[in-house]
Amino acid sequence: MDNFKSTEDIINYAIQSEQEAHDFYMELSELVKFNELKIILKQFAAEELGHKQKLSRIIVSADQIGLTQESVLDMKMSDYHVDIIPKKDMTYQDLLTIAMKKEKGAFKLYTDLANKITDQNIKEIFLGLAQEEAKHKLRFEIEYDEYILKDN
Amino acid sequence: MSLKDILSPLSAWRNITREPVTIKDPLNDRPGAPRYRGFHKNDIEKCIGCGTCETICENEAIDLVEVASINAKNGDSGLRPLVDYGRCCWCALCVDVCTTGSLTMSNEYTWVSNNPEDFRYIPGVDKKSWDDSELGWKKPDYDLIPAGRIDMEELKPADREGTFLEIVRGYSRAQAEKEADRCTECGLCISACPAHMDIPGYIKAVREGNMEEGLRLLYETNPLPEMCGRVCTHKCEEVCAVGHSGDPLAIRWLKRYIADQVPFEEYKRILGIQEIEGNGKKVGIIGAGPSGLSAAYYLRIRGFEVSIYEAKSKGGGMTMYGIPKYRLPINMLDSEIGFLEEIGVKFEYETRVGEDISFDDIYTKHDAVFIGIGFEKPYKINIEGENMPGSLQAISFLDDINKDKTVDVGKTVAVIGGGNVAMDAARVSKRLGAEVIMLYRRRVEDMPADQEEIHGAYEEGVQIYQQTIPVELIPDEKGKVKAIKYLKAEMVADDKGGRPRPVPIEGSETILEIDTLIGAIGQEADYSFLPEKYSDSIQTDRGRMIVNENNQTNLEKVFAGGDAVNRTADAISAIADGHRAANGIEKLLLG
Repeated sequence: MDNFKSTEDIINYAIQSEQEAHDFYMELSELVKFNELKIILKQFAAEELGHKQKLSRIIVSADQIGLTQESVLDMKMSDYHVDIIPKKDMTYQDLLTIAMKKEKGAFKLYTDLANKITDQNIKEIFLGLAQEEAKHKLRFEIEYDEYILKDN
Repeated sequence: MSLKDILSPLSAWRNITREPVTIKDPLNDRPGAPRYRGFHKNDIEKCIGCGTCETICENEAIDLVEVASINAKNGDSGLRPLVDYGRCCWCALCVDVCTTGSLTMSNEYTWVSNNPEDFRYIPGVDKKSWDDSELGWKKPDYDLIPAGRIDMEELKPADREGTFLEIVRGYSRAQAEKEADRCTECGLCISACPAHMDIPGYIKAVREGNMEEGLRLLYETNPLPEMCGRVCTHKCEEVCAVGHSGDPLAIRWLKRYIADQVPFEEYKRILGIQEIEGNGKKVGIIGAGPSGLSAAYYLRIRGFEVSIYEAKSKGGGMTMYGIPKYRLPINMLDSEIGFLEEIGVKFEYETRVGEDISFDDIYTKHDAVFIGIGFEKPYKINIEGENMPGSLQAISFLDDINKDKTVDVGKTVAVIGGGNVAMDAARVSKRLGAEVIMLYRRRVEDMPADQEEIHGAYEEGVQIYQQTIPVELIPDEKGKVKAIKYLKAEMVADDKGGRPRPVPIEGSETILEIDTLIGAIGQEADYSFLPEKYSDSIQTDRGRMIVNENNQTNLEKVFAGGDAVNRTADAISAIADGHRAANGIEKLLLG
């Protein structure tokens, strides 16, 4: 990640990361029991693909690909939750934990990449993507808060 | 005839020149006295359609009727009183007994109309000129229905440490009858109860001292009344009409009273269960929790051959293994389950489906299958160090305690969670002599535990640290729990109207030295027994099986109920699920 020679390299790296995330969720969807979990994972995969497409369209400015810079609430759950290893009998809790961690990783990735970019337009796009990932993470955190931590 | 008899009538003529006294001003109404009992008014928003006014009216002048603009909801029948002034005698008993105080009378007493139908109207709905009048008759200060419930004798908090004696002692006959006397028989409780028990019916049986009738009514919809009479979440009491102006009826304690009075040996005779003629159909039930036991009872009495497969050595599910004895003595459950055995339900204990017998086997051997597996797998807190010695899960901790195993929790225990399981773990730890601190992410008012559990925990000296998020367990030199690190949280409003979210405050790390951590943040179903060819067909929503109105899953012969289906997480909903599933199975197999 430190050997980027150009902005294009950085964008390509981000595109590749989104593709890997998509593949990861698709593989998980084959692994889990119950159609409900399979469908959820396929939705996650589709969202990652959406990010990939947004990155592929980075030519002009953040406005044109619909990214915002608004701040997003961070419940920080993924900061203190331990990692979950994907397995066949994965539960909804496991799945949400994996997703939260993944989104946190993606947020950090885009923030780091943004710091390496000098072109202000593209930098903003990456910061916007970081916020998108933060929003996704918040969505999983709220879901976790509502359904897993119902008694807590 | 005397002369006087002839002349006397003529004396009336002397009044012909006197001024009339009855109508001085025939064009204006004469107002009624300020507290006159005139035509009725009703605050329809306050009225709950309990029908107590209709019941008390000796002249049958009041009928509860449907109103297009009002929908029935929990605690409100959606009906409103219609008054027939051809029958009303303006005694105002309907106002005096009104449970919410919504029904009043104006001081208006004159009303002229050529249409007799006008004199039957729904106060508050059919608008009248006196609706806004402040004057008239209102509910008096005294209560026709005593506002306070009969107190239940309880073990004092100071006497609870070191003992698992049942806290609640139960009503005496005199107390039960007096409490039962407060019931207005409105029946709002019936729809609030997940099992739709005939609550007014069995309360009437208490009042009349007819315990056998009471037991029959209990078993019509609930084959575990001893258990429910002790630990039911009593949603019925939340909607009790009497509760609007005083304490709601102690419905749960009255149910317990009936069940306590009748010896189990008499059950078969009282319930009229003699020799059961089989119908040739077999049903396999997975799990002997409340839903499985309920399904088993209603299927068995209809002639089905019922086998329950239970992983543990006793039935009862979470009520047997999760509820401490001070709330539910084990012998009560044993007796209720014993009765099911007596009527021919077969129990295969220590038979874990997926290990000792396959789901395939059960599926093929039976005409229908009921899955009542409950939520026995605890959610992990998922923090660093959670697996170290000294870190327990509430479910297994409570199970050990109920099995009389010795558990050394040390001097200080931290319990994570705010539900009933967390409360049980905290209160049991207190009985073991520990100082107990509950760490809860939100505020006490957000806790999902029953109010009486929170109250009991406070009474017994449990401390609750609100807005605290556990982040790490710290070991001692031997690798056992030594302390817990937690963050303090601030509550951030949810933009979308949900409950406020706890967000950790930077730099608020706090270390609390403890000997034992007990996690009680919730549980989930363990579906590891279910092969993929079945799990792919059964639809779920966040880990709960989706069922239709008969508690039937997508697989035609597979029914399900209890915690793995409903979100209420209580025994009475599980019992209702079992009953519905029994009806569904009967419909499927016998038409």
